[in-house]
Amino acid sequence: MAGILKMIVVLTALCGLSGFVLSYLKTVTAPAIEEQVLRNVQGPALASVFAKGENNPIADRHVFKLEDGREVTAFPSKQGGKLVGVALEEHGAGYGGPIGVLVGFNVANDTLAGIGTTQLSETPGLGMRVKEPSFREQFAGAKLPVKLSAQGGSIDGISGATISSKGVIEAVEKADALYKKLKPELVQFWGGK
Amino acid sequence: MTLMQEFTKGLWKEMPPFRLVLGLCPTLAVTTSAENGIGMGVAVVFVLTLSNILVSMMRHIIPKAVRIACFIVIAASLVVSLELLMQAYVYSLYEKLGIFVPLIVVNCIILGRAEAFAAKNGVAASIADGLGIGLGFTMALTFLGSLREILGNGTWFGMNLFGDAFEPFQIMVKAPGAFICLGLILAGMNCINRWQAHRTGTEPVSIGCQACGASCKSCQLQMAMPEDAKKGV
Amino acid sequence: MDILTIFVSAIFVNNILLSQFLGNCPYLGCSREKGVAVGMGAAVIFVTVVATLFTWLMQHYVLDPLKLGYLQTIVFIVVIAALVQFVEMFLKKMVPPLYRSLGIYLPLITTNCAVMGVALLMQRKGYDLVTSLLYAAGYSSGFLLALLLMAGIRERLDTCRLPKTMAGTPIALVMAGLMSLAFMAFKGMAQ
Repeated sequence: MAGILKMIVVLTALCGLSGFVLSYLKTVTAPAIEEQVLRNVQGPALASVFAKGENNPIADRHVFKLEDGREVTAFPSKQGGKLVGVALEEHGAGYGGPIGVLVGFNVANDTLAGIGTTQLSETPGLGMRVKEPSFREQFAGAKLPVKLSAQGGSIDGISGATISSKGVIEAVEKADALYKKLKPELVQFWGGK
Repeated sequence: MTLMQEFTKGLWKEMPPFRLVLGLCPTLAVTTSAENGIGMGVAVVFVLTLSNILVSMMRHIIPKAVRIACFIVIAASLVVSLELLMQAYVYSLYEKLGIFVPLIVVNCIILGRAEAFAAKNGVAASIADGLGIGLGFTMALTFLGSLREILGNGTWFGMNLFGDAFEPFQIMVKAPGAFICLGLILAGMNCINRWQAHRTGTEPVSIGCQACGASCKSCQLQMAMPEDAKKGV
Repeated sequence: MDILTIFVSAIFVNNILLSQFLGNCPYLGCSREKGVAVGMGAAVIFVTVVATLFTWLMQHYVLDPLKLGYLQTIVFIVVIAALVQFVEMFLKKMVPPLYRSLGIYLPLITTNCAVMGVALLMQRKGYDLVTSLLYAAGYSSGFLLALLLMAGIRERLDTCRLPKTMAGTPIALVMAGLMSLAFMAFKGMAQ
């Protein structure tokens, strides 16, 4: 009996201790982790979306709350202290899993500033090519809504990777809907033109 | 054995995975470059040394019947801490190693050393053992990673070695290269063992699970098998 | 993705052992005899599917709502270890014939990284429950296939005259390498 009791006490104490230490460590490292994730995942995508920005979009990011309670992180791009663009992240369904796309909008005329992928697990040589400049750059300056050329739009999809190309378009469409909803708040927050 | 001997045995005599065939999955999977090899090795040194210290400190408290469960909880907590620290400070390495960071939990080296060494020895000796075995593992991984990176990519730690004319054996950085490289290295190890044994007139040291004393019990299964199946060993 | 694609992808293209490097220890330990290989493989299929089910539910109904995602590793290993214990006790009491054939392999599975690896992969890829279970079945069948192929080859090797330095683990690894090379031919059949 004493043996069983000892077992239970030791195991419980061990698990409790480990839980305590880990939750402490989690709180300590949380800000550093958030920073790292943003710099490594969103950072390169942001750099390809806003080539000319004068601020650090990651440092200036802000979380907006939607009516349905969802939280959206927006990354501003400024020139001469004025808000010129905003980037939002959305996901579309790809072939090998969700495709994460960071979509940049020009605030002045509501066109696309560019896109950058943040999450991609497509087939190498096929779907993976959506991150290549030749595909990506078609979005810069494009008017919304964007469509693939097969559906009468202006974007040439990657041949052999229709699902991946559509996934990117889906993400852009979702981000566009989000942007339309949030625009007044965005402009008000960063005091654009 | 002195502390120094406990430490140095991991560097050659019981070096995983070349001498003790333990922890093969990360060995094969992450050694596509020398840098990844070092990264994985350092991660294992961290978990192994701390787990050895903790297990050794608690060896009189832990009841025998639930010792494996306790070792797993200790190792898992350390791995979670490692994951958090890696995400916070070396994020790109964490991304590269992928699921093999959480899989350190089921790496037989950790449980094997806890069961075979730390649960029976003092804290100082356990630290020496953990550092030694961990460092041996790091060296082995870096060696394998360098070999694969040099042959398969023509680079070493990202430095271009041979110029543009070199046509790399791309197979080396892919899956088959990992298996074949490790197999040939183990054969080389066997060769050295046999040569040493021949020189000193002793029995050659066997390479394999038999030497480890780990809790994974794969060895019991091998021993339970009929004699004729073992002929090839 | 339809079921066939999932199975082709999981068994051949992304074979868990030969291209993802998971489960190497039992691979070397249990591939000397076909009977042992089938027993181990069957036990792995069973435990992987059940473990994927439980870890998926755990992740989506306990860890995510409580924002405890960082405890994933520790929770998964505890779930798998407990599950293996439970399955062993259950089979011993309720299905003795099955226990006699799979029982000795079950304790080995807790430290088999294929089980934990599949559970983690499913979460990283973000599949839904049904897809995850299909992949789990596919991956573990791929493990059985690789183990069985290897056992067949190693039974023949036992009667061969090998250089003494290559016998045992080294030749097994080189064989695995050649098999992995063969499996690379499946690349492109599915993702």
